[in-house]
Amino acid sequence: MQAAPAAVNATGKGKRLLAAVVKFFRKNSYFFAKVGISLLTLALSIIALFFLLRMIPGDIVELYALKLQNQQGITFERAYELAAQLLNYDPNENIFQAFWRYIGGLFRGELGTSYLETGVSANSLIATRLPWTLFISSVSLFLSFFIGVAVGGYVAQKRRGAANKAASAFIAVSGSVPDYLIALILVIVFAYQLKWFPAQNNYDAFSVTPGFNLPFLGSVLYHAFLPILSYTIVQTGNWILHMRGSCIGVLGEDYILAARARGLSERTIRTKYMKKNALLPLVTQFGVSFGALFGGATLMESIFNYPGIGLEISNRIISKDYMVVQGLIFFSAAMVILVNLVVDLIYPLVDPRVRKG
Amino acid sequence: MMNKTHSTSRFSAVGAFFQGLGSSAARGCRKFFSNGKTIAGFAILAFFVLVAVFGPLIFPYDPDTDMASAYLMPSWEHPFGTDWLGRDVFRQVIAGTGSVLEIAFYSAVFTVVLGTVLGIVSGYLGGWVDKVIMAVTNIFLSIPSFPIYLLLAAIVTINTPVSLSVIISIWSWAGLCRAVRVQIMSLKERDFIQICSVMHMSKAHIIFKELLPNVFSYIAINFVMAMRNAIMASVGIMLVGLAAYDPTNWGAIINAARTKGLMNVKNIYILLYPLLCIVVFQISTLLLANGLDETLNPRLKVM
Amino acid sequence: MQTHTDHIALFSHVSIDYPLKKYTLRAVTDVTFALKRGAVTALVGESGSGKTTIASSLIRCISEPGRVAEGDITFYGSGGEETRLDLLSDKEMRAFRWRKVSMVFQAAQSALNPVLTVREQFSETLEAHGEKLAKEEREARFSDLLDYVKLDAERVLSSYPHELSGGMKQRVMIAFALLLDPELIILDEPTTALDVITQNYIFTLLKKINREKGISMLLMTHDISVVAKFADYVGVMYGGRLMEYGDVRTVFHRREHPYTAGLIGATPSIVGDISQMKPIEGSPPDLLDLPKGCVFAPRCPKCRPVCLTEEPPMREFEDGSMGKCYFYREGDHADTAG
Repeated sequence: MQAAPAAVNATGKGKRLLAAVVKFFRKNSYFFAKVGISLLTLALSIIALFFLLRMIPGDIVELYALKLQNQQGITFERAYELAAQLLNYDPNENIFQAFWRYIGGLFRGELGTSYLETGVSANSLIATRLPWTLFISSVSLFLSFFIGVAVGGYVAQKRRGAANKAASAFIAVSGSVPDYLIALILVIVFAYQLKWFPAQNNYDAFSVTPGFNLPFLGSVLYHAFLPILSYTIVQTGNWILHMRGSCIGVLGEDYILAARARGLSERTIRTKYMKKNALLPLVTQFGVSFGALFGGATLMESIFNYPGIGLEISNRIISKDYMVVQGLIFFSAAMVILVNLVVDLIYPLVDPRVRKG
Repeated sequence: MMNKTHSTSRFSAVGAFFQGLGSSAARGCRKFFSNGKTIAGFAILAFFVLVAVFGPLIFPYDPDTDMASAYLMPSWEHPFGTDWLGRDVFRQVIAGTGSVLEIAFYSAVFTVVLGTVLGIVSGYLGGWVDKVIMAVTNIFLSIPSFPIYLLLAAIVTINTPVSLSVIISIWSWAGLCRAVRVQIMSLKERDFIQICSVMHMSKAHIIFKELLPNVFSYIAINFVMAMRNAIMASVGIMLVGLAAYDPTNWGAIINAARTKGLMNVKNIYILLYPLLCIVVFQISTLLLANGLDETLNPRLKVM
Repeated sequence: MQTHTDHIALFSHVSIDYPLKKYTLRAVTDVTFALKRGAVTALVGESGSGKTTIASSLIRCISEPGRVAEGDITFYGSGGEETRLDLLSDKEMRAFRWRKVSMVFQAAQSALNPVLTVREQFSETLEAHGEKLAKEEREARFSDLLDYVKLDAERVLSSYPHELSGGMKQRVMIAFALLLDPELIILDEPTTALDVITQNYIFTLLKKINREKGISMLLMTHDISVVAKFADYVGVMYGGRLMEYGDVRTVFHRREHPYTAGLIGATPSIVGDISQMKPIEGSPPDLLDLPKGCVFAPRCPKCRPVCLTEEPPMREFEDGSMGKCYFYREGDHADTAG
């Protein structure tokens, strides 16, 4: 008898709580939809990567066993046993059990351990290589973005001028030479022939000690110059192209004409009307480009022999260190997804039109 | 302002795709070649095709090595010089043209067919089909493509242009698919497609006879762009040394010369020519794509 | 010619060209007419007839790359000052715009900057014209204007354009046009994108502004029924030419010009029978390939051989009407020719 009102009360509370939860989700539906899609994409990417790597012919344990056999001069059977033990490999385990083991590792933050080098894992490689990759690629991304936006906005207004023709020619040529070939040309000319810049590595390990000291920073900048230059050359054309196109689109809008009719100065029209509107679609693109940085540029880094993530990926694919490869590719995909999510979530703050979903 | 109305009426002529195939083909050709960029791009591409077809007949390539004539500088006999094994670089470049073009063509066909079909299906049918296709597309767009090319090259033995093209196109259709889907979704809202569904026309009819012609110009431009990307990707794969099936492919020549050491100026001489060919080829595809864009999307003309 | 004090603006033999890549397109050819002070003058014509182009030339806002090639445009200020608009420097023109002549655009939805609030756009216009007001004063002025067009000032001012409905945006644009107390407002098809009820409301509002504030208006439209209801004077444009000009009653009543008669005949009327509606045969002229004589001749029911060889001159009559046709008021005595 006494419990009944309490129960009613409880269900009433429950209902209210449920309603509040539902309301909370409704109110933030944009947020949750984006997060949900990102999580789904991440999960599917993990599955796709895992099974793709299992399709590679050849037995990892066998490869490792052969290595151990050569190193330690033991029989193949013994080496195979040892390899299975070291790799934590159970020959009776089927692919799904292996998959669950992999997922378990991911949840513990283990992206993949190398079986060719002891003590090396995707995690340790990311810790040592990612700063270098991010350093050269983000510096050049920002450089090329600002140059591209400034030049693109300028030539959009002077479409008949010589500057526009020059910009078009630059876009055509820089867009036609694959990025790694621009890098190759720069290496040939400035590193091998003129010998102004080094052809490989991130700093001179013989003459400087890593740390916050001038010789080290100088050496880093000196080694990064050519990679940054070629990245910037490659990307600037693209940003000019996008900004010019976006600006030309905006310049055709009625509000530009209306602003002129109101007697606003050309300067105001250029900054508050043209650039502000034209930059909106570029924000998304900038985010996408930034997300793609984390995987490194495989070919660029191999041409400069620059020890970033990209070089590591290509070297380890060639040396068949697939667990590490899987971890590194997963990491770059995850960063792409994460950065895209962040861009999606902050975009409403930039563009008032999507602020109200 | 006048010109704009003019152009839109011309653009709707795309809808006249059906009437009189003969005359529309002739008109199409005239329109196609009315743009300077299109002509230039097409001419360079045609030149490469001619080189690929007749070049090896006129200048047959001899893969035999002749150490005595290694690293010769360019001369009348060897216009591009010879490599470290005494083979003629000029003839190598010619012999490789065919394989480069094949890769570009096959990759573009695979990419465009995959991207367009999935994009149209996804955009037109909507619902759970759309959701599934978009989920798959998201995976392909999130995982960086170049490492995957390298991985696939390790899984599949690359020994023909077709196998290399398959590897390239498997990971390059997603962007096109998403773009086509957006176009189809906006077309679907337009009156003439609405009328078709009200009239109970079959889905196949609407897709192939109504939607496809309207995204045709977009697909044509993307075909050319897919060729560009295929060249970039294939040469890149060869530069890592993972597709060494054809030593005369431009990418393979560059890679071979590079691995022989760039301190040696003679190796630079060898890789210069295929590099130049790649750049010219890429410029021609860019010209063609821009020319097509200007002809097929006349809104740009007012500029 | 009449004295200029009752005019607010005068177009004299104005031609406007669009130099394009391969050819030059003449969008307006030799147009002469005056805008009466305090009156609503309408320009009717199909799209491409040059009505927007000639009106935009008043504030030098012809869409790129259009330029006034011949003739001159004069503005007569209320203080008696005469301004040759085609001779102003860019800076002088910027100061002239909106202060003397403002404009309500065809597509209000796209005439406001999507990334700035209404308040920001109002304020920056004041600033561009050197009006440095205290914050309260400025706010008071904005809300007065928005109250005048029956909008909730507080809400609208802090809104972004996409947060307003079509009718609200058009009223914001009208309030905006009044911001600097101009003497003339150009209305470029102000109601095309709106539903009939809202259209009516907007025109009532505009008429009220015209009466109460004495602001002259130049209305461009292709809707002849709007002209009949709203305008005092009307100019009919075709193929870049002014075909007829006069006060609305005379023009509509006499239907002297075959093109005007055709336009009126082609307009559906609620009371009339739809079978009486007659479209004008043929299609609007191609400005790049105009007929040799009268531009309307190929579609004209009254066409004579002379119409096909020689363009008729513009003739002006005593009551101020003008017509460009060989058969215009055949019995009447023409005042001036050319």
